[in-house]
Amino acid sequence: MKLVDVKKLMISSLSTDANSEDIMKKLEEAGVKYSFDEDFRDKVLLRIYSAAASVNQEVEFVKSMNSIFYRIALTGVAAIVLLLISIFLTQGSLSFNSVLGLSNSYDESIVCLLTGN
Amino acid sequence: MIKESYKSFDEYELIKSSLEGDKNAFGEIVTRYQGMVARTVKGMLGDSVFSEDIGQEVFIKLYYSLSEFRGEAKLSTYIQRIAVNLSLNEIKRKKRFFSIFSQKGNADMHEFEVADQDYEERKDAREIVDKALLKMEPKFRVILTMRMLQGYSTKETAEILDLPLGTVLSRLSRAQEQLREILDKLS
Repeated sequence: MKLVDVKKLMISSLSTDANSEDIMKKLEEAGVKYSFDEDFRDKVLLRIYSAAASVNQEVEFVKSMNSIFYRIALTGVAAIVLLLISIFLTQGSLSFNSVLGLSNSYDESIVCLLTGN
Repeated sequence: MIKESYKSFDEYELIKSSLEGDKNAFGEIVTRYQGMVARTVKGMLGDSVFSEDIGQEVFIKLYYSLSEFRGEAKLSTYIQRIAVNLSLNEIKRKKRFFSIFSQKGNADMHEFEVADQDYEERKDAREIVDKALLKMEPKFRVILTMRMLQGYSTKETAEILDLPLGTVLSRLSRAQEQLREILDKLS
């Protein structure tokens, strides 16, 4: 196609009544074609799914941390309950002093110890 | 075998499969629409490495916004809008860059774009189209790209650019005037 005809086609593509699809085809035949590299698809998929994979890794890490935290917390709660039961069985009550392992006469003993009387 | 089966999928099946994490389904979307995106992006920005990157960005943006696609417009229209917006943003970015580093600003930007294409004096159809496109104002360039390279009607152009039909008609006429002047200078 001559250059003059290419120019005419370009100008006519901007007319309101132009058959733009027809013009596009004619220009393509004249060599006005655009494309990306052959590996364009692979590059796009690599960029998307490698980014998605790293995000997934972060999500998995947070999930595993959460599950570890729950296990530790549950074990802790179970240990506290067992301790309280054992205190109740040995001391006969769950008062503040029995939880701390102090006897009722502890205050007086301390005073005696400090004053030497 | 797998690729063949995706070819028979319509765009909604491909979107659904892509949202379910099917890599090959999204790959088929890229295969189907990469030519269309290449025409828009390379028409708007010229045939350079930047265009290839913007082309990739179009599909990456599409991937992350697929869940928002309601199917009110065709998938091609949706992709075309992303391509146009990213290309216009890139033109603005380049313009800002050159306005910072050059007092001549816009004029230098065109020189850069043309130099970036490694043009020689070969006067073939592709060369003249590329040169003319890059010399047009972005708002007219996008109209010419939609009409001449994508073959869209005035109505389709208005829909993709999200502009009233009257605005597109007026821009068509002004773009035609500008193109005439540019082509006269090019010869």
